[in-house]
Amino acid sequence: MSSPEQWTHPEPASAPAATAAKPTAEQVIAGLRATDQGDVNLVQLLTPEGERVQHPDFDIDITAEELRGLYRDMVLIRRVDREANALQRKGQLGIWVPLLGQEAAQIGAGRAMRPDDMAFPSYREHGIAWTRGIHPTDLLGIFRGTDMGSWDPVKHKFHPYTIVIGNQVLNATGYAMGQKFDGKVGDSDGEATMCFFGDGATSQGDVHEGFVWAAVYDAPLVFFCQNNQWAISEPTERQSRLPLYQRARGYGFPGIRVDGNDVLATLAVTRWALEECRQGNGPILIEAFTYRMDAHTTSDDPSRYRLSDELELWKLKDPIERVKVHLVKQQWADSSFFESIEQESEALAVELREFCVNMPDPPPERIFANVYAEGNPVLEAQRDEFLAYVEGFAGGEH
Amino acid sequence: MAAPTMNRAGSDSGDSAVQTLTISKALNMGLRAAMEANPKVLMMGEDIGKLGGVFRITDGLQKDFGEQRVLDTPLAESGIIGTAVGLAIRGYRPVCEIQFDGFIFPGFDQIVSQVAKLHYRTQGKNKLPMVIRVPFGGGIGAVEHHSESPESYFAHTAGLKVVSCSNPTDAYWMIQQAIDCDDPVLFFEPKRRYYEKAPVDTTKAPGPLFESRVLRTGTAATLVGYGPMIRVCLDAANAAAEDGTELEVIDLRTLSPLDLGPVYDSVRRTGRLVVVSEAPSESSITSEIAAKVQQECFYSLQAPVLRVTGFDTPYPPSKLEEEFLPDLDRVLHAVDRSLAW
Amino acid sequence: MPQFKQFPMPDTAEGLTEAEILTWNVKVGDAVKVNQIIVEIETAKAAVELPCPWDGVVTELLAEVGQTVNVGVPIITIDVDPTGSAAPAAPAPVAAEPATNGTSSGKIGEEMPGGRIATLVGYGPRAGAAKRRARKGSEPVAAPAAVAAAPVAAPVAAPAPVAAAPAPVAAAPAPVAQPGGYVPLAKPPVRKLAKDLGVDLYALTGSGANGVITREDVEQAVAAPVAAPVSTVDNGTRERRVAIKGVRKATAQAMVDSAFTAPHVTEFLTIDVTPMMELRARLKTSPAFRDVKVTPLTFAAKAVVLAARRTPDVNATWDAAAGEIVYKDYVHLGIAAATPRGLVVPKVRDADRMSLRELAVALDQLATTARDGKTSPADMMGGTFTITNVGVFGVDTGTPIINPGESAILALGAIRDMPWVVDGQVVPRKVCQLALSFDHRVVDGQQGSQFLADVGALLADPAMAMTY
Repeated sequence: MSSPEQWTHPEPASAPAATAAKPTAEQVIAGLRATDQGDVNLVQLLTPEGERVQHPDFDIDITAEELRGLYRDMVLIRRVDREANALQRKGQLGIWVPLLGQEAAQIGAGRAMRPDDMAFPSYREHGIAWTRGIHPTDLLGIFRGTDMGSWDPVKHKFHPYTIVIGNQVLNATGYAMGQKFDGKVGDSDGEATMCFFGDGATSQGDVHEGFVWAAVYDAPLVFFCQNNQWAISEPTERQSRLPLYQRARGYGFPGIRVDGNDVLATLAVTRWALEECRQGNGPILIEAFTYRMDAHTTSDDPSRYRLSDELELWKLKDPIERVKVHLVKQQWADSSFFESIEQESEALAVELREFCVNMPDPPPERIFANVYAEGNPVLEAQRDEFLAYVEGFAGGEH
Repeated sequence: MAAPTMNRAGSDSGDSAVQTLTISKALNMGLRAAMEANPKVLMMGEDIGKLGGVFRITDGLQKDFGEQRVLDTPLAESGIIGTAVGLAIRGYRPVCEIQFDGFIFPGFDQIVSQVAKLHYRTQGKNKLPMVIRVPFGGGIGAVEHHSESPESYFAHTAGLKVVSCSNPTDAYWMIQQAIDCDDPVLFFEPKRRYYEKAPVDTTKAPGPLFESRVLRTGTAATLVGYGPMIRVCLDAANAAAEDGTELEVIDLRTLSPLDLGPVYDSVRRTGRLVVVSEAPSESSITSEIAAKVQQECFYSLQAPVLRVTGFDTPYPPSKLEEEFLPDLDRVLHAVDRSLAW
Repeated sequence: MPQFKQFPMPDTAEGLTEAEILTWNVKVGDAVKVNQIIVEIETAKAAVELPCPWDGVVTELLAEVGQTVNVGVPIITIDVDPTGSAAPAAPAPVAAEPATNGTSSGKIGEEMPGGRIATLVGYGPRAGAAKRRARKGSEPVAAPAAVAAAPVAAPVAAPAPVAAAPAPVAAAPAPVAQPGGYVPLAKPPVRKLAKDLGVDLYALTGSGANGVITREDVEQAVAAPVAAPVSTVDNGTRERRVAIKGVRKATAQAMVDSAFTAPHVTEFLTIDVTPMMELRARLKTSPAFRDVKVTPLTFAAKAVVLAARRTPDVNATWDAAAGEIVYKDYVHLGIAAATPRGLVVPKVRDADRMSLRELAVALDQLATTARDGKTSPADMMGGTFTITNVGVFGVDTGTPIINPGESAILALGAIRDMPWVVDGQVVPRKVCQLALSFDHRVVDGQQGSQFLADVGALLADPAMAMTY
């Protein structure tokens, strides 16, 4: 018995079905078409050429000052990203996880959040960290190997980086449920939570369980998926037959795809999604359609699995460039503004560099610090024994 | 590090402060007391609300505390643990129920990657005061996956604390102490003993959570166990006493951190130790105890530490479980071997 | 002050070991900034642009366009402090930041500068230590340079096991820990008891099942009063056990120390001592020696101190802790003596300054005092050479063990009538064997032989002493 057509081609029928076969040169080129075209449902308010466009459902009133602020955010975080990358090249960091190309997705989403909202990142959201008031030097410890996150997650309302793919989505769901149980959801003053994850993560069970729970408990949670087209070496076709935003429908809540390289669209859509959540209409899935311009981490070699033409195509959609063009066209910024931003980014880079190379190694007792809230006598005995052993080396220094 | 002895308001008259309770009822009452004491305490698990739990441990709680404090969750163990983490960060004290021991594994990732590590990862800025309750062990004639003893995986994981009650008094008090503890606690409940009764004083806790306890003194050899095996050890000791052999029995109560001081003291007197557990012996909690005792009590040992455990097979079909599980005869056989050394 | 840094060719991709300079983007004198692209190199895979690690001024291009350079070889020198004054002579070939040798764009699996292999998730594996770090209080233990406080004897190990002194006979020979052998069987509490009581389990035979040593075995091994070693008789066995303690214990330790520290060489010399015995007979009748006992040992002592002048090595000490051999201007001569307490080796101090008569007196006194067990501790210490007179027991020779702290020992054998060749005829003569054991770290074969020959010559012809 053959399967009726409507069961093998889920709505909307106009969505392109991605291929899942082993990529040949043709299929990679086919991917080229799929990966830079965001389909008709892509929400965009600022074109790659820097032109404002209208969207029937979303709009944004942005002032010159606000746009200059967004520009500054993106330039600075890109500079931080490049500087940290260079520091890794010099052996000052073990790895760096680059966000190059995803600045608009993160700054747009981050600037939509309020101080009382909570963010659960994966491990690439240096731009969100920036918007939560975390100084870039606080990002270095993880990659330097001196700690697992230097910032205070409670104070900044920004969870530590979660390296196990997808775990944070469930944690965010629970937190959002807590906001609801606390009665903080129901009007415009309500709180909301955002969790961040990539296209690869949408295959993990925890993400699907998160969708289930958030839906069942009406959690005020925005699922923010940065689809940067690649999960290390695997394209999004390997994760889904459908565009990712369409998954939300299966769980009973709205899913929306936004141009992740358009800071205005991302800001507008995220504001809308957060407002929905505050009102108690959550959860919402946002798929920010963007591109990972650099490698997965610093030792990854993208030339092994993707064509350089792809990169060239996405360079034309650069998130910062389109804002700069728009600022110039609107005469909202002059050369002295751009120069001051350049100087600021240079100073930030120097600061980052100097901080990094001077980071001291933690002492051996740090191994044992804060494993438990209430201590553990067996562990403490082990620690004491180890420290006595360390003391026993001639020459004193470890 | 000892928690202060807890005194909870019981009833006014001295007599009715002591009630004869099953472990199941004692847990239920302990959970209720914890919910009353702190509005941030939440229960979450499959079928724990309307149904009151498949073992009725949470019976009546949703009716009295509402659906926002006693959650019937979706069927997703990773979700139960993962959302509990978020709730704990938010300031709640979640008490998760995993319906059966064999189903904890979908949640194992969240337990090991997040629950165990967040306090360390954030150097104390995130605390996870949550409890994960797990009915465990065999002897109930069940189909697969309902008779497991997975406690060793969690005792092996730094950042977690692991306890197991063996009797109604400990059930009533330890569950409250675990909920009060600011560290995440795996709370293993001996399901085959849920319906065994004993008197419980609900006004005074017998002692802190992370301490082992000598239940019976003796001189010939020391028996150490936890959870469902304590009954077996006590029965074995009674049988041995009829033959004039007095065995000392110690209930570990806490599996991580282990409180072995009383065990060392006992072994230094008896010189012989038999450790009893349903879990397979390979690389287990009983292995840990044997290793520590031989190190701390080396010169006192008249015989090597012997272990009476489940076998290193998957748990067998229920018709065979009586052969699989340590029983009185196997324990006493080990005691005989120890004495003969 | 100008500060020069050199940037070495980095490892860029797939474990390549070299790359070719394609183009220089800078020239000498250019100012450069961090991350500025300064050169394009070609690897087998692709052209790669290299960013500059430092701010500064280019002072030297060390490779030419088209030149192939090995990874790690410097390609450019940059002055990172160009506003400073006079330049130092040579640039410092060291990278700026602590843990780096320039840039590394190491991909997965590639070796990076510093030797670590790049990995997706961190610094990558690092080789572990190949040498042990020094611990506090771990100075090497000094070799015994001085004689220990307890009396030490250097008995001759004769071919057959012999208890040389009339001491209580030990029971079955004490087993010594053999490398590769099995640990004695005993339960932990019995081990603790043995340890606390100083009982060596290796010396016991277990009376428990399968040879396990029992508590009773240990207790019996020590059930002796402190004054003298007491033997106990095992119930039902034909063995007698004597606790190891006191002189025997100390002697045994000294023997082990010496035998397993100093490389022993023993040389033998058989001599005709008839002239010496004739001299002895003459001395007996001389007034100066009338009330003095002159024995072959006396002559041997004299011969030794004379010969030691010519071969001072035999009188020296190997001081391992100080890393020196100590040559002494004196000879404190030790004489092995059998006493009721066991073997002791009292010393005749400054024996080299004594005349034959003085030596005879000293040796006689020494023997008497030792037999009475009254040798003072001072006389037990500080020896530089030992003579062991096995001849008194009628034994010909042996391979004596050097006293710890000394470098040689002479065994004097019994003097017998033996056939000897004199002027082509075989005649009975008084013949004696000498055995010299020496420490080959201090004494070479030539010196040892020289010394032994000299001693032998003096004993064979005492008139030779005139030539010293």
